[in-house]
Parts: sequence; C-alpha cells; structure tokens
Amino acid sequence: MGYTTPKKPFLLPKNKGNVAIIGGGLSGSVAAVELDKKGYNVTIYEKTNRLGGCLWEYEGKGLETTILEEELLVIEKKGMSIFYNTEVTEEKLQHYIEKYDAVYLGVGSWSKAYTIHPETFQVNDSSLFIGGKLQTQNHSIIFSASSGKRAAVSIDRYITKTSMLASREREGIFETKLEYKIDTIKPFETVVKTSIFYSEDELKEEASRCLKCQCDACIKACVHMQRFNITPDRYIRSINHNERIVLGNRSANTMINSCTECGLCKEVCPIGIGMADIIHATRQSMVERGKMPLSAHDFALKDMQFSQSDAFSMVRKQPSKEQSKNLFYYPVIAFSGYARGLYKGSGKTGYLFYPGCQLSATHTDFIGEIYKHLVGVIKAKEADNDVGLYLGCCGAPADWAGRVDLMPESVEKIHKVWEEMGEPTFILACSSCASTFEKYLPMVKTISLWEVLDTYGLPTTDIKKGRRVLSIHDACATRHDAKIHESVRSIVKTLGYSIEELEYSKEKAKCCGYGGLVANANPEQAEAFATDLINASEQDILVYCAMCKDAMVKGHKRAFHILDLLYGTQDAPQKMPTLSQRQNNRKRLKHQLLKEIWNEEESTVNATYDFTLHMSDEIVTLMEKRFILLGDVEKVVDHSLTCKERFFNPETSDYLARLRVQNVTYWVKYEEHGSDITVKDVYSHRMEVVEG
Amino acid sequence: MSDQTVTPTVWMCDKCHKALVSQKVKVRYLEGNFEVELLKCPTCNMVFISEDLALGKILEVEKSLEDK
Repeated sequence: MGYTTPKKPFLLPKNKGNVAIIGGGLSGSVAAVELDKKGYNVTIYEKTNRLGGCLWEYEGKGLETTILEEELLVIEKKGMSIFYNTEVTEEKLQHYIEKYDAVYLGVGSWSKAYTIHPETFQVNDSSLFIGGKLQTQNHSIIFSASSGKRAAVSIDRYITKTSMLASREREGIFETKLEYKIDTIKPFETVVKTSIFYSEDELKEEASRCLKCQCDACIKACVHMQRFNITPDRYIRSINHNERIVLGNRSANTMINSCTECGLCKEVCPIGIGMADIIHATRQSMVERGKMPLSAHDFALKDMQFSQSDAFSMVRKQPSKEQSKNLFYYPVIAFSGYARGLYKGSGKTGYLFYPGCQLSATHTDFIGEIYKHLVGVIKAKEADNDVGLYLGCCGAPADWAGRVDLMPESVEKIHKVWEEMGEPTFILACSSCASTFEKYLPMVKTISLWEVLDTYGLPTTDIKKGRRVLSIHDACATRHDAKIHESVRSIVKTLGYSIEELEYSKEKAKCCGYGGLVANANPEQAEAFATDLINASEQDILVYCAMCKDAMVKGHKRAFHILDLLYGTQDAPQKMPTLSQRQNNRKRLKHQLLKEIWNEEESTVNATYDFTLHMSDEIVTLMEKRFILLGDVEKVVDHSLTCKERFFNPETSDYLARLRVQNVTYWVKYEEHGSDITVKDVYSHRMEVVEG
Repeated sequence: MSDQTVTPTVWMCDKCHKALVSQKVKVRYLEGNFEVELLKCPTCNMVFISEDLALGKILEVEKSLEDK
C-alpha cells in the first residue's frame, strides 16, 4: 500500500560489535534492522525457512502474501548473515553469549525462564536481552515490534557502555505531559467494518478520527507562527542556526523580526513556554554582533529620535498661580475645574501626565483637553498634588529593536526629570510606555490614564444610553494589568455602551501587529496580525492604544480609541494620520500647548520653501508604504531646484532628482509649473552611489 | 551585482544638457563594495537610478548584504 523503493542505504562500516539475534520473527527482525542501522554486525538464527514469524499468521487475512514477501525481502537485502532452519537451544545460547558482544532472544517459547528487566529487557547484568512474546507475554504485534526496538536501544547502550536507563521515559507506555483541550471537539463514531477487514476507504475514514493530538495552543493563537509555519522548538533551532552561521545567509532574520514580542504564546502554553524573551535576547545579540538588518528598524528609530528631540519633547510643571491669575475671575473660576485647579496650585508636582509619542501624534487635539481635565479633577481631590506635563518617547522602539545601547539615554532622561520634579506619579496613556517603565524604570510610580479617569471622574460628554455594542481589543502590553482592563470597561459602560468580549482578550490579548516594530520590519506580517483581529470581531472595535486603532483602521475596520468616545463623537474619524503628519502633529502639539497653557512662544525653525508641493492620494499612500517622509521629499525638491542637480525627460517634461539624507538616497519625480511642484513618484535606496 | 542594470533611457542631465552614458560606478552598502555599469552624466557624473533598479536589483542586493 504505502510501499516505495527505499533509498539506496548509505553503507556504514559494521564495526561497532557483533550481535546475535535468536529468532527472526517480528521482534527479532526489528531488533536486527535497528542494530544493523546503528552499525553492528548482525547475525540472525531462525528456526524456520523464512523471517517474519507470527506475521505469517495474517497471510491472506488482511496481509497479502506479496506484500509480506516484499517487506521481508527488504531485511534480507540488508546484507546481515541469516541462518535459516537453525534451531538454537539453551546450550547454544550460552555459547553465543560467549561468542557475541550481545545476544537478543526473540522466540515464542524457551526452555528456561529468565528474569527480564522491565525497562531495558536485559537479563541481570549480562549481554543477553529478551524481547518478543517471552517479554510481552501477549500476542500483540505492536508490543512485539516495540520490544525489539527497545531491546536494540539497550544493546547499543550496553555495548557502547552508556547509561542503560537515562532519558528513556518516553519509551513504551508513559503518561504524556501534553495537555490537549478537547472541549470544543465533537466525537466521531467508530467506522463500522462492512467485511472482516476494513476496506481502504473505511480504514482511511477510521484513521481520520485521530486528532493527531499535539499541543498547538500557541500556534493557534499566533498569526506569526502560522505565517512562518513553525513550532516553537523548530523556531528555537532556527534561531540557534541563524546565530551560529559564519558564512552564508542568515535566513531567519525576517522571521525573528516578525514577532511582536506580545507574549501571548507564553500565556496560552500549558507549561509556560514563550518566544518573546528568546526573540528579544536574539535581537539584542544580533545588534551586538552587527548582524541586525539595518533596514528593519531604521525608520522607527529615526522617528523615536525625532520624538525624543526638542521638536516634541518638553516638560512643564503645572502653570503657577501667578502665571494663571488672569483666569481667576467670575464666571471662569465657577465653571472651569481647570481654573480652580490652577488656583489651588501648590508648586509640588504630584503627577506628571505622559501621553507618549503615538497618542500625541494621532489624538493631538485631545491632549491639552485631557491635561486641563486632569488638573481639574485631581486638584479637586488632592489639593497638594499639582499635575505637570511631559511630552516625549519612552524608548519602546529601541527596546523592540534590541538596541540596548540606546536604552540608557532614554531611561536616564526620564529618570532625571522624575527626580527633578520631586518623584511624581506618571500618568501613562500608552500601554507600551507602561511596559517600558515597568521594565526600565521600576522606581517610578505609574498609573494609567484610564484608571485616573475612572477614579477621579470623566470629562463631561454627551452620554446617551443603549447606543451600541463594542468589542474591546485590549492592548497586548497591558495583559497582566487587570486594573487597566477594569477601568477601560468601566468607562465604556459609563458612556452607555455594552461590551461583547472577544475570545482573546485581557490576559490573552492579541497584538495588533505594531508591537516589536513588526509594522516596520515586515509590513505584510503586521497586516496579517490586524486581519486576524478584525476577523475575530463582528462589532466595532474599541481600543485604548493609538497604534491598535491605526492597525484596525488600515484594515478598514470601524474602530474607536477610547478618547474618541470621551472627547469626540461616535463619528470619530476612521482615518489615521500619515507618518509625516504624525511628526508634524507632535511638533504642533508642543507648540500649541506651550502657547495656550504656559503662554510661551516657541521660536520655530520650520523650514520654509519657495515652492508648493502637490501630491495625489496615491503618492501619499506610496510614501507611507515606502517609509518616506514629506520632509525628505521637500529636501530633495529644494536641493534639485537650488543646485539644478536633476534629470530631465524631454518626452514627458518630468524632472527626477535625488538627495542622500543620512543613510538613505531619496528620489522624487516631479512636474514643475512655476512654483508648483507636482510629485509623480517617490522611491529610495540605501545603497550609496559614489559619484565622481 | 550583474551588469543587467543598464537599460537605455531618454532621461538626460538637466544641468549639463547631456545624454547619459553607461559607465562603471562604485556603489557601497554595509561591508559590500562593488563596481557596476550605471547610467551617468558624462560631464557632472550624476548617476541615474530608475525606480525599477532601486526597488529591484538594488533592494535585492541590500537585503542579501544585510543577511550576510
């Protein structure tokens, strides 16, 4: 049935020792083949004129003669010495024990009773091993074959003088550590035979009832492992190989950079094995050895650098009473919690609101509102604690990228602010910030914005009862923070929504695909993560992480950030800012807040150009896909106009210009009409061209 | 990189008003240094790289150098 011609065996020298097999039945044949494979010189003594023993009892009863003969011929062809019609007696046996390095006895009955070790099938400490019916004491074909194979392992260990018992727990019948969940599986009835034996189709159907029970909880939960069709053990082997390779391609790089490090695999594993720590350590090692592909995280790290620069980063204490005295008049003071909060200013920063870089970029216009609200509600309850504001990036991208070298700078900066501000509690709006703080700044007390809002009070919103059902997609970084899960649900309910929980929520939250910088290193993989989430929810999705919303909206799923519900309307935009807009939004936010709240005018050093850029939606989409910023396009065009370094196409009258910015060369194709520049194409490469 | 990088083009140097010529040009990325035939302006030496080349052959070479 399943017979194929075996590959020509690789002939090993049979010099590991001499073994006699007494009885060429099933168990004896199995033992002989196994030992031959291991490199022993095997001699079989068989009482009858053929091998196979009890197998012949099935001849014509489900086993065709030709198949039996073919299979047994395979053994004969191996080149072992086989003596047929040779009966062995107890006396002869003793002689063989003397003559051979080991003897396997696999006959149906024997004149003398031996005590057989239940695990090794060895007789005392001798070179005699017994399997087959004498050992199994039954007629089972499976036990018989098993005893031959296990005896062969013992004989090999005996002759090579290795431990007879070590690491043999998984031989024979043993209790598995596998925890296989069958609660969602419907049982199938046994397939009934229509004759004495199963027909081929019946047999296939009966065999298909087998669940092939292996633990795949992590793979079921993880789109990444599914996409790379890999199990954790093979994954670890690939990493090991990738790490050790000296010459040749590191083929697992993309896979290693496609894990979100979300930790779900560990969460669903019955024995708590997770890939996140392994992958994180691997990325660090790749960076240390200079083997991390530069393009994987370059854009994200530059974006982080931007957010940590003065373009966005700033720290301010709550505006002092003196600064704010123009607000302290009726009716402002009566109606504005914020004004009353400022009036109670103590000068001691008890809290520092840290909205993070992404939320500031996507929900820019809410940040000032939230800040004012926080001052109002917190000061109403804790007159002593002022609320400050800190814009910046926690450094999560560097952590994900394995850039241990960049972490101290990020962390020390935050730590210094924390100390200088008198060790305030950080109010965090971003779950990735929360993880970074927990990991690198454990001394800093933090609380989530959602918990603060739930505890101190929500901003005034138009609450209508019974509006809609939402599914909450929890941020994967918060999986162990039950307080955040509760606060978010409490807020959502207060706002009049009902919640349809997802299968993978709270501690089993899935990642949207942004985690681990997967959206940078492998955008298709990130998309697959988002699609998986989108497919799991029929309802609109509520998120409380800016990047989760981004992932959902990109997949055309209606999604709301919890701030959309608190400050916007139900019709919150289902479009997210581009990478360029994000950087601009951050810059704008700092500028606006300084002006509105602290009455400070920033001296802006924004580049201004003499041309106006026009770009279609297609070009904007292309730029997003290719991680090209508007600022870079502007630099290329400006340089080409100033230096006339550009190509001209006389057929289309288009210009094509290039400029190297840091480690990337950007190319822009455009049409020029006076000061109007219409961009027609953008692309880039990292390879440096040496001109001249 | 193979020499399959040069396909004739109508693009010309805007500054020098010259047609582009195919010449060996040095390119480098990470630890890789190569000489390849590329189109360039014979006068100012500005090198022309098309979108197909940037996102095709060049990207391929970049990736393989990154995985080395």
